[in-house]
This record gives sequence, structure tokens and C-alpha cells, in this order.
Amino acid sequence: MNAIDSVRDILTRNMRQSGIVIAFVAIVVLFAALNPNFLSPTNLTNIVLQYSYILILAIGMVMIIVAGQIDLSVGSVVALTGAVSAVVVVRQGLPWYVGVLAALFVGLLVGIWQGFWVAYVGIPGFIVTLAGMLLFRGLTFLVLDNKSLSPFGGTYYDIANGFLNGLLGGNGFDVFTLVIFGIAVAGYAVSQWRTRQGKIAYQQTVESMPLFVAKLVAVAVVVMWFGYQLSISRGLPIVLIILAVLIIAYTLVTQKSVFGRHVYAVGGNRHAAELSGVKVRKVNFWIFVNMGVLASVAGVVYSSRMNGAQPGAGNMFELDAIAACFIGGASTTGGVGRVGGAMIGGLIMAVMSNGMQLMGVPQSMQQVVKGLVLLLAVAFDIYNKRRASVLR
Amino acid sequence: MRGRTPLLALRQVSRYFGAVEALVDVDLEVHAHEVVALVGDNGAGKSTLAKVVAGVLSPSSGQVEVDGEPVTISSPSVANQLGVASVFQDLAVCENLDVTANVFLGQELRGRAGLLRDGEMETETRALLEHLTIRIPSVRTPLRHLSAGQRQAVVIARTLIGQPRIVVLDEPTAALSVAQTAEVLTHIQRLRELGLGVILISHNLNDVRAVSDRIEVLRHGRNNGSFPASATHEEILAAITGAA
Ligand SMILES: Nc1ncnc2c1ncn2[C@@H]1O[C@H](COP(=O)(O)OP(=O)(O)O)[C@@H](O)[C@H]1O
Ligand SMILES: [Mg+2]
Repeated sequence: MNAIDSVRDILTRNMRQSGIVIAFVAIVVLFAALNPNFLSPTNLTNIVLQYSYILILAIGMVMIIVAGQIDLSVGSVVALTGAVSAVVVVRQGLPWYVGVLAALFVGLLVGIWQGFWVAYVGIPGFIVTLAGMLLFRGLTFLVLDNKSLSPFGGTYYDIANGFLNGLLGGNGFDVFTLVIFGIAVAGYAVSQWRTRQGKIAYQQTVESMPLFVAKLVAVAVVVMWFGYQLSISRGLPIVLIILAVLIIAYTLVTQKSVFGRHVYAVGGNRHAAELSGVKVRKVNFWIFVNMGVLASVAGVVYSSRMNGAQPGAGNMFELDAIAACFIGGASTTGGVGRVGGAMIGGLIMAVMSNGMQLMGVPQSMQQVVKGLVLLLAVAFDIYNKRRASVLR
Repeated sequence: MRGRTPLLALRQVSRYFGAVEALVDVDLEVHAHEVVALVGDNGAGKSTLAKVVAGVLSPSSGQVEVDGEPVTISSPSVANQLGVASVFQDLAVCENLDVTANVFLGQELRGRAGLLRDGEMETETRALLEHLTIRIPSVRTPLRHLSAGQRQAVVIARTLIGQPRIVVLDEPTAALSVAQTAEVLTHIQRLRELGLGVILISHNLNDVRAVSDRIEVLRHGRNNGSFPASATHEEILAAITGAA
């Protein structure tokens, strides 16, 4: 396969995926041109911190959407788990990790509760989680006695606000951050190389060597540049580490595990999956359990970032998470979508919010723009699909 | 043929849906290297029989035997374990998944930690398609990009995963053009050459007579005659419609 062919192949086969990356790059370039501060180290760090909990929610949400369901309760679950954690740490004075464990446990229970109703009673996720949205918001008010609870302080506060900095020294920049990013780039290169070798071994087509190397170099340059910006700012945000671990783990689960394959099968054709021996109920149950736990992780990160719990926390987070998935290429009818896509979808929203904030665009206008972007992204999807089916 | 233990046998199998008698005391035997056609009018109970054998429905009464041993086929995965593979009437594929994923769906090869052995599955799928002389551009093509005939070929290839010995095909050619039908019939003959026992459900007598060794007729859920492939069109038709 020559270079031009393989470029064309990548572009057409992953039209949606590459479209989203190009859109992301375009938006970043636009804001960078409009505002000199946009690409400043401090601001890049802020974008990561400000949107981390939405990205964590989007990881679980994309699996639910791929399976053909939806979860409207995650905002309320963020509030409830943060509230429980605050009661444990702030009110009872127990150590920070007890608060984290309590939050995770509540998230697990929430997931089991919703999974049970969806999978074993057969109520659509839309209804179960609409009920959950009210239910868990109500419970949050009960747990918090209608009042905010703060401050966490200490280690708990550091989860979302802390940085790893100066571990290996460095003069004006943090060596440790650079080392971690270096390892990440190397790991990425090795895994790409092994995938490529594997494909060759199984006689699959691969992109040509120069293109492969060019792709790696491009990724490495962007990633190392981003790492350098962080390192001359405050260092490596702890949240970024949590996020990276989750993204890698869930990319594996969705793309390489039997469970992930079955999630796609259930979303693609539930009936066919069932007849093929896929345990559809189990799949539905576990995606909701998983969402509950991830929502509690987001709850911990958010309450840590706010340094406290409020009854109204996490309001509308579900909509941001769902929008991230659809902007990132998930199909409204299920069966299609990726963790990576949802992350870029989330980043597009993050960059737009942040960029518009820097430019002083009023909140109302920001909402209008984000709403339109969501609409256009899905419209683009449907247009593509229709064109593809005409071509067939 | 007689005297040998059949691969699959139904003995006096009945299945009711409330007051509807979908199957009543049905007997059926399938041997290795044999294509048994099951014909009958709409509503005769053919699909119900296929689903009983596939583990989707349980019989209300009667016995299913595999290799002469009584078995309870309680789910599609139990059927897989017993070596029974099925193709259902309604082209059941996941259009969002590629050829390999569809072929191995529900029976994926697992490596360490439940991870998919994708490379091996692809190689095996390719070998399988070659074996059945099925032509498909790439095993990585999502099924939504394939024609109805190609999809049905994938569904038939799918039945060969996990070394089944019995394949049940419920109207595999119903949605296909003439040329595509001919290809699918060739695949069915290939299954027989491989030594499998095949139940071919159809109401197209021409298809049936072209590939089967024996033709069993169902009428109102009951056995209504057994014919060699050499039987005339009229004889079989009479048994199907009950015009004796
Ligand atoms: N799930 C079901 N519930 C109620 N009745 C059914 C069900 N499935 C099949 N039947 C009835 O059983 C009879 C046999 O149906 P079926 O096996 O689909 O026939 P065929 O495949 O030969 O056309 C029909 O009268 C049909 O209406
Ligand atoms: Mg039928």
C-alpha cells in the first residue's frame, strides 16, 4: 500500500474519528489565534482540572450509549457520593481515604440499584436513571441536611488540586513531569509498533513505514510540548494521572476484552447478540454498575476540587457527559462510539468553554454555542451515514 | 443409514404457546453427513422446532437427544457446548461489528485476563471463509457494508466456530436473490461434505430438493410424512397442504 492510498484509507475508513480530531485541532488553533493566553501553561493546566470530572463521567457514559442505553443520573450521583464523602471526612473527621472508599461504595450501590432495574426488571435506562436523577438528588439533600459541607483540606483536597512537582528536581521546569510524559510517549510508540507487527504477522494491511513514523512523531511532539507546558507551570496534576490510568484501562476493556465486544454487540443488535449466546442482561447490569462507580470517582474529584460538598453539586453534568459522547462520534442508536472519541468530544467542549471564558463571552452565549456544536456534530454523523448507505 | 445412533434426535417433542400447539409429538433424526430438509406451510412449527434445538425455547414435553444421550438445551450457549449451531430466520447479525467479531460472537477466543485473541480469530475467520469458498473483501469489514448474500454467508460461516456437529438453518435463503441463493446452497453442501448433520428449513421445494438427502414434512405442528430427495414435487406438496 503506498502512502497516498494509506492516507486516503485512514481518512475514509475513520471519517468520523479523523473528522473529530481535525475539528479539535481547528478549535484549538482558532482560540490560540484569538487569545495569546489560551496556550499558556497555566491555562492548559486549568483546562485539564476544570473538565476532568466530565471526562471521567464520559468514559462510563460512552459504554452505556454504545449499549443503546442512557444515564441521566450521573450528575446527582456525583453530588451524592461527594456528600457522603464530606460527611465522613469533614463532619466525622475520619481520614481522607475512608471518605474516598465510602464514596466509591455508594457509587457501587447506586450502580447495582440501577443495573438491577434496567437488566433484570427490563425498565429502559432512560426511565430508571431519570428516577435516579431525582432520587439521588433528594438523598444528597438529606445527607447534607440542605447545607454545604466544607472544607476537606489536606490530602483529600490534593486529589483534584495537587501536583506532583519537584520529585526529580529541575531548573524552571519539572523533570519528573517530563519523564512521565517521555515514558507515556515511549509506551505509545511501543504499543503502536507491536500492533503494527501483529498486523503484519497476521497479513493485515498496515500504513506505510514513513506514514507510520510521521504519525508517531506528530503525536510525540504534541504530547511532549503539552508535558513541557505543564512542567514549567505547576507540574503534573494528580487528576491527570487518574484520568490517564482510567482512559488506558477503559480503552483496553472496550476494544480488547470480551466484555467490551459484547457491549458493542448488545448495542448493535440486542436480539442477535442474545441468540449468539451473549448474556445481554449481565452486560446491561455491569455497564450500569461501572457507571455508578465511575460517577463516584467523578464525585470524589469534584468535591475535592470544590473543597466541599454542596446539595446542588454536579447539576447538568449528565448533559455535558452525554454531549461529549455524541460529539465524539457515538451513535444515537447504539453500537458505535469509542472512549477516545468521547474524550476528544469532552475536550472540544472544555476548550470551547475555556476559550470563550477567556474572551469574555457571556455564559448565555456559551450555552448557545455549545448547543449548536452538539447539534451540528450529530447532524454531520447522520449525513455521513446516509451518504455511506447511498454508496453501498 | 438406519441402525447408527443419530447425531440429533427429537422424540415426541411438543411445544405449546398457551392454547397454540406449535409442535405436537414431533419425531426427527439427523445423522452425520446428512442434510435433512424440514418443510411445511407458514405456521407449521418449523421455526419453533429450530428454536427448541437451538436452546432458545424449551420443549413443553418430549426428549431431545444428542449422540443418543438425553440432553436439556436450556440456552444458546448450552447449545454451542453440545455442538449445535443455528442460523435463525431473521438474519441475526450485528451490523456494527466486523466479519470476525460476528463470526466469533458469543464464542470469542480468550487469552489472559479475558482479553480477545483478535489476531487468531481473524486468521481463523479467513481460513473458514476460504474453506467455504465465501468471497468477502476483508474480515474487518463491518457487516453494514456487506450485501444480504454476503451477510448470510457470514452467518453460515459462523455456525462452524467451535466445531459443531449439527447445524440448523432456518430459511437461510428467504431474503436472497437467485444467485445468492445458489451460493448459499453450495455452502450447505460443503457443510455436509465436512461431515456435519444439517437441518435445512425452507418452504422453497426447489432449494430443498437440490441439496437435501431426506425431506420431513410438518403440518399443524405434527409430522406429516418423510420423503427421499427423489420424491416428486406433487407428493411433497400434498403432504404440506394436507391434500391427500
Ligand atoms: N413466541 C410465540 N408465542 C406465541 N405463539 C407462537 C410463538 N412463536 C410461534 N408461535 C405460533 O406457533 C405456530 C408455529 O410458528 P412457527 O414455528 O414460527 O412456524 P413456521 O416457522 O413453520 O412458519 C404459529 O401458529 C405461531 O403463531
Ligand atoms: Mg419460520
